[in-house]
Amino acid sequence: MEILEFLKWPLVASLIIAGIHAYLGVHVVERGVIFVDLALAQIAALGATIGVLAGLDAHSENTYWISLAFTVLGAGIFAMARSRHAHIPQEAFIGIAYAVASAGTILVMSKAIGETEHLKDMLIGNILAVSKEEVWRTAALYAVIGLFHYKFRKRFLLISMNSREAEAQGISIGLWDFLFYVSFGFVVTRSVAIAGVLMVFCYLIVPSVGAMLFADRIGPRLAIGWTMGTLVSALGVFLSVMLDLPTGATIVCTFGGVLVLMFLVHLAVHHGRGARDLRGARSAAPGQELTRE
Amino acid sequence: MKSHRVRFGIILMAACVLAAGLPRSADAAGKLKIVTSTTDLAALAQEVGGDRVEVQSIARGYQDPHFVEAKPSFLLQLRRADLLIVVGLQLEIGWLPPLVTQCGNPKIQPGAPGYFDSSQFAQILEIPTAQVTRAMGDVHPLGNPHYWLDPQNGLRIGQGIAQKLSEMSPGDAAYFAERLKSFRQRIADAEKRWDEQMKPYRGWKVVTYHRSWPNLATRFGLNVVNYVEPRAGIPPSPAHLVELIGMMKRENVKVILVEPYFDLKTPNSVAAQTGAQVVVLLPSVGGEKEVTDYFKLFDYDVNLLVQAFQAAR
Repeated sequence: MEILEFLKWPLVASLIIAGIHAYLGVHVVERGVIFVDLALAQIAALGATIGVLAGLDAHSENTYWISLAFTVLGAGIFAMARSRHAHIPQEAFIGIAYAVASAGTILVMSKAIGETEHLKDMLIGNILAVSKEEVWRTAALYAVIGLFHYKFRKRFLLISMNSREAEAQGISIGLWDFLFYVSFGFVVTRSVAIAGVLMVFCYLIVPSVGAMLFADRIGPRLAIGWTMGTLVSALGVFLSVMLDLPTGATIVCTFGGVLVLMFLVHLAVHHGRGARDLRGARSAAPGQELTRE
Repeated sequence: MKSHRVRFGIILMAACVLAAGLPRSADAAGKLKIVTSTTDLAALAQEVGGDRVEVQSIARGYQDPHFVEAKPSFLLQLRRADLLIVVGLQLEIGWLPPLVTQCGNPKIQPGAPGYFDSSQFAQILEIPTAQVTRAMGDVHPLGNPHYWLDPQNGLRIGQGIAQKLSEMSPGDAAYFAERLKSFRQRIADAEKRWDEQMKPYRGWKVVTYHRSWPNLATRFGLNVVNYVEPRAGIPPSPAHLVELIGMMKRENVKVILVEPYFDLKTPNSVAAQTGAQVVVLLPSVGGEKEVTDYFKLFDYDVNLLVQAFQAAR
């Protein structure tokens, strides 16, 4: 079928996104910072808008660097906002950053000339129009970040799952949190430009949540998450062709539908006692940090 | 009502995809395949192309042509097109260029013979004469892209399309010339009728929601004195609204023109405070079911304008 030729790159792009986001999603869910990607994406958009206000082209190199600088700034804020004694939930800071960055974008746009169409496009994304070059560049970037996370995986996982233990081992939480959010910001800014915030949010959170219905250990959770991300991408693209619906939104709704199915299976399999044996995320039970065996 | 239309649209589109997968019928093989970005251009292409062309519009008439969600079928349509007709002046910049690049059809790439930018044939208003600066507000750097809302521009674009079609299919040149002649005649007749209807209201002041109606207003002698939302998508500041309401009261402006895809909350509140009427005009063919061609678009808008002005008198 002729249509498959067009869908090759969108599908490859969504598989690459699924790969890294299902992994980062485990961290995000463990840390309980569910909306951090929305906040970072919005902060990056604010940076790009300021670039446009300064007279730069919305798609130029310089605009990209400005939006990256803002992402790093946001990463710094979120790294500092982790309060050790859970005095104020980190999610509160994330929400505030999101709201202020969104409103700031509107204010900056009201001063910019023309071109506001571009900026709306930044957060909506258009997975259908992704080009081969974009896919390769994204794959290279994610491979580098993936390697970085693989090398330091023990450290990152320990901080996400048991920050007190990490602190006791003498790991600098502030520094590693900053590195986590910066690398995360790189990925989110890139993915959002391709696929839009809604899709990126789903790729991050849904596979991780789906996996937690069936497993506790990181290995199986990643395996389930990656399988789910891959299958849903393929199914979503297929449905979008068959029903001729906007591709991004179709994938998002497919994620929702598949998660409901997985929940029903979970009920059937783990009915009653079994479900309670799953420990779930640290963030789901504040104050009860897991001890690693 | 709306969901009905959407569902119908989905079914129709699904049918198109299925139909597109089938081998082409012999009868369609000889026709030039035209894809347009908007329904207005499709209507104009149909006027001059007649039964020698097959025309499809990507955007629906009720959609804001600045923002169109890409669907897989758009790529197929573009892939198979012999001729792509666009509004240009950056109207479609947010969605069309990547689709044209991705569709892999060399015939319709910008600069190729199958890429037809209608704005090159029309009379364009609001072209900035000096360097565009921030102080000028929301300015389209190439001029206002809503130029199809002047029947004379419709005729100019029709002429351009007829010439292009004759180049692409020289055997049918006489047929296209005949169609164009008939179109020119019908435009002349219709303009007489519209001018007659609008004559009593020449020089009347109106406020428009956004800068979408300069061509329509200029053609029928309406005076656009202000805008509800000077920048698309950015809520107006309180200072602007106070100034707008004061101005409308002072200058006795009784009509606010709005496009169907904008929220009516702000215009309604301005109208309530000034005793004005909000009139939702159609910017495009297909915005309502009965508006099926270029002539009916102006019939519809002129009738609404006349009703509103009569009520204000």
